[in-house]
Amino acid sequence: MPTLKKLRNATAENDLEQRVESDVSVDTERPWNVIVWNDPVTPMTVVVAVFKRVFGYSNNKCTHLMLTVHHEGRAIVWSGQRERAEAYCVKLQVAGLQSSVERDA
Amino acid sequence: MATKLFVRRRDGRVEVRLNDVGRGIVREVFAHVVAGERDPEHEWHLSLNPPINPSNDDDDPLSTLARQSETASNAELAVMTLQEQYLTDSEAWAWLSTLQVALRSTAVANGILSDEKLESAPEELLDEIHILQQFLFDLAGCF
Repeated sequence: MPTLKKLRNATAENDLEQRVESDVSVDTERPWNVIVWNDPVTPMTVVVAVFKRVFGYSNNKCTHLMLTVHHEGRAIVWSGQRERAEAYCVKLQVAGLQSSVERDA
Repeated sequence: MATKLFVRRRDGRVEVRLNDVGRGIVREVFAHVVAGERDPEHEWHLSLNPPINPSNDDDDPLSTLARQSETASNAELAVMTLQEQYLTDSEAWAWLSTLQVALRSTAVANGILSDEKLESAPEELLDEIHILQQFLFDLAGCF
């Protein structure tokens, strides 16, 4: 039955397209992380002030992130698109914090 | 009770309460940041240009250009407002960013990358670091 065959082909193509789309979407959904690294000289109040200014986070969130940096040596302070991650990283570096971007594992 | 070096006023401006000695220190620090940004041979130049994406051999040139431009703008604005008694919010932020950049550059240029290295640093260098930290502590309290 030609109609059924066509329908099967169409379905197979759709499946393939969906798989390709699915793979692509998984790939692009891996976010880029902005990392802030601990250093021995920067006052804690400066780190909090910079987080507030750059990201607009609440005081509590900024303090929590600052303490994570202090105790664990680094913290992910933002995740998302690569271009925005790099732009945030630049802002943090301009404000004198040690930061970098990396792709989420 | 020690007087704060920077105070946020009700009108939003930040009052600078540094005496001549304090302003002299700040002037020298700001000048170093401007020089470090412009002169590739300056001891602070490398610390002013750390990698953005360490997994890449080269960073995006637009991002590095944006960083150089913003760092230089902050330092130049800070230099231009050295004699002001009251700073706008943006000017005060330029002071904070430039002082913090100077603090980190001082540490990096002297190999102070850990608490142990900081503890064993020469007294003169520690004094320099403590002065910058005190300025920053008071200024950050305004934000």
